Amino acid sequence: MPYLIVHEDKCVGCHTCEMVCSLSHEGVINLNLSRIHVVGYKGEKFPIMCLQCEDAPCELICPMEAIYKEGDIRYVDGEKCIRCKMCSLVCPIGGVIYDAINHKMLRCDLCGGDPQCAKYCPMDAIEVVEEVPERRKKGVRVLYGEED
Amino acid sequence: MFGYAGKILFVDLTNGVIKKEETERYIADFLGGRGIATKIAYDMIPPGANALDPKNALIFMTGPMTGAAPSSSRIDVVSLSPVTNMLGGSSAGGDFGTFLKFSGYDGIVIYGKSEEKVFLKICENDIAFEGASKIWDKDVFESVDYMKEAGREMVEVATIGRGGANLVKMSGISFSKRSLASRGGLGAVMGSKNLKGIVVSGCKGIKVRNKDVLKKTNYEILRKLVESPSYEKYKTWHAKIAASLLKARRPYFGDYEEEYWEDAEEAAGNAREFFENKVKLKSNSCFSCPLRCWAWIEYEGEEAPMVACQGTFSAITFILKIKEPELAWKIYLKMQREGLDIMSTSAVIAYASRLGKVKLGSEEILDFIERIVNREGEGDIFAEGIKKAEEHFGVPAVYVKGGMESWSSDLRPFRGISLAAAVTESGSISRAVHGFPESSYYTKPEKAKKVAKKIAGREDIAEPTIYEEKHKLVAHFENEHIIADSLGICDTPLLSVPEELWLKAFAAITGLNYSSEDLHYYAEKIRTLERLFNVRRGLNAKNDTLSDRLFQSRFRSGPWKGVGIDREKFEELKKKYYELRGWDENGIPKKETLKKYGLEVER
Repeated sequence: MPYLIVHEDKCVGCHTCEMVCSLSHEGVINLNLSRIHVVGYKGEKFPIMCLQCEDAPCELICPMEAIYKEGDIRYVDGEKCIRCKMCSLVCPIGGVIYDAINHKMLRCDLCGGDPQCAKYCPMDAIEVVEEVPERRKKGVRVLYGEED
Repeated sequence: MFGYAGKILFVDLTNGVIKKEETERYIADFLGGRGIATKIAYDMIPPGANALDPKNALIFMTGPMTGAAPSSSRIDVVSLSPVTNMLGGSSAGGDFGTFLKFSGYDGIVIYGKSEEKVFLKICENDIAFEGASKIWDKDVFESVDYMKEAGREMVEVATIGRGGANLVKMSGISFSKRSLASRGGLGAVMGSKNLKGIVVSGCKGIKVRNKDVLKKTNYEILRKLVESPSYEKYKTWHAKIAASLLKARRPYFGDYEEEYWEDAEEAAGNAREFFENKVKLKSNSCFSCPLRCWAWIEYEGEEAPMVACQGTFSAITFILKIKEPELAWKIYLKMQREGLDIMSTSAVIAYASRLGKVKLGSEEILDFIERIVNREGEGDIFAEGIKKAEEHFGVPAVYVKGGMESWSSDLRPFRGISLAAAVTESGSISRAVHGFPESSYYTKPEKAKKVAKKIAGREDIAEPTIYEEKHKLVAHFENEHIIADSLGICDTPLLSVPEELWLKAFAAITGLNYSSEDLHYYAEKIRTLERLFNVRRGLNAKNDTLSDRLFQSRFRSGPWKGVGIDREKFEELKKKYYELRGWDENGIPKKETLKKYGLEVER
């Protein structure tokens, strides 16, 4: 399954990924309804989105077991979800957001396999790869204290 | 209604009253952005008003495409200009325009004068005035930081620096720390209203008519931009622009000197070395744009964003004749912090050097800017702009229509651009002829010829010093700029991507199917209304001119040796331009022209 890598040095902060994300999923251009977010300070900017963690805190904390995996992509079951927003709280990178207008949780679903943000990024700052790179797996292990 | 946010905010600073008006009232007649702003200016600013009167209105307006298509970051600002006392206007990129739409407004109209020094906070329906006395004397960078803290996390700021606060006529309005609506002294208008800044944020989206078509069209536009051969050049633009301007034979040196500056090449080389090896440079873009016109630059503990265009670093280098880029950087920081129009301020400093008040190429310039901003001693005179300084000192100066300082390219060899400088309503040449074939004749001759042929039917007229047919090029480019400023698209990408793609995107965003002719009709209509604004203030063909020194000056050395502007041929060209626009010999729109554009009731 596809996986997104961000090349933060290439990003110029033009917000095109956020525009196309909200346009694709919600039909409007609205940075607050985008599942990818350009964050940054001064000249350094980069996009961040759900990293499809292996042991995902969002999935572990969900009291309704509403977060499920299909292929390698996590989705929220809108029927089960009670909008307690715990998943949004525990995510260390802000990968899940609450859409107050439509009353639902939003998270990156890799556009079902064809991520539009990667396709539209004019700087090729977002790359689609087939496998989770070893480097990132290691990063997660370091984050959880399993490795130095 | 799609594309548009739907509401325009009217802020009466005298009474502290805020009203909202439907944008729909204006759309069918004036499209958006510059068009709607001009209409509101025409309706609201009394013909007898002065620019720094409370009666003057300051209008910020986005277009229907702002925030919804690639390179669509533009916001247009229109007001009565304190420099020319005519219609003034300037536009800027950045993120402010898009965020204003996210807040639910297509534009903000500011009028009256606040008793206290304030800044305005807009977050959707929550609109508040906050005290600004603490930051009134602060520069742009400090003010932006202060106001951003006062708002929420994702906010955008428009502000004036000390220049605008002290009513310095060369001051612009800064959007964040970077993009300036610099020309025409609009910062002084904001200062005169005791308004320090505007903060916007919002969670509303931009609704579009057909998301699938828009997605597809936006992708095509993006690919066109990214795949064009000049796209790669933007990456190294900061380093190379000075040399490329020299190659295009565009810069002027000092106070419009007639001798070529022998050290120009060396200075351009030093600038290149500076940006390539000495600074830390991180490319950045305005909202939704892939072009990377600006970069975050760090050098010896100081940092600032810098737009790489002819009006910033290279204007300082050439006009102020600075060989050391380290000094040019210091001057850049100073002007950017004070919120000054770099082109105009440099021109004023160069004029002052002719009078022996300051030495070009030296550190003295920094103190001189400080004196202008504080209006200390003679700085008070120079703060009024180049024409007022000329009247005071009696030494002829160079300026364009209405007494506005010239832009950073020389006018003397460029017939079309000189014409634009004289007829354009705001005197702001940069609002009319960006991407003009004359400007790129020596760098991209093939492209320049192709454009000239397409518009006026003759390849050879791309050459700068030819007079013939230039009125057609000027009228066409003015129209293109009005379209760009009215839709909210940046003019550079607008001109380099096929028009049908923009029309397709426009239709997908708004649901309105317009042809190229329709857009040009709007442009001509808006152009005529701009004219009417000034005609109502008593202006006519006599005001469509340049300062005398420009006609008398002849180059004594350099690539343009012997070249100058011929007044007779220039006047002839002006007449042809009037004819093309449907104006009479006195530069006043004819009855049938007004009828054609449905502007009869306007007069």
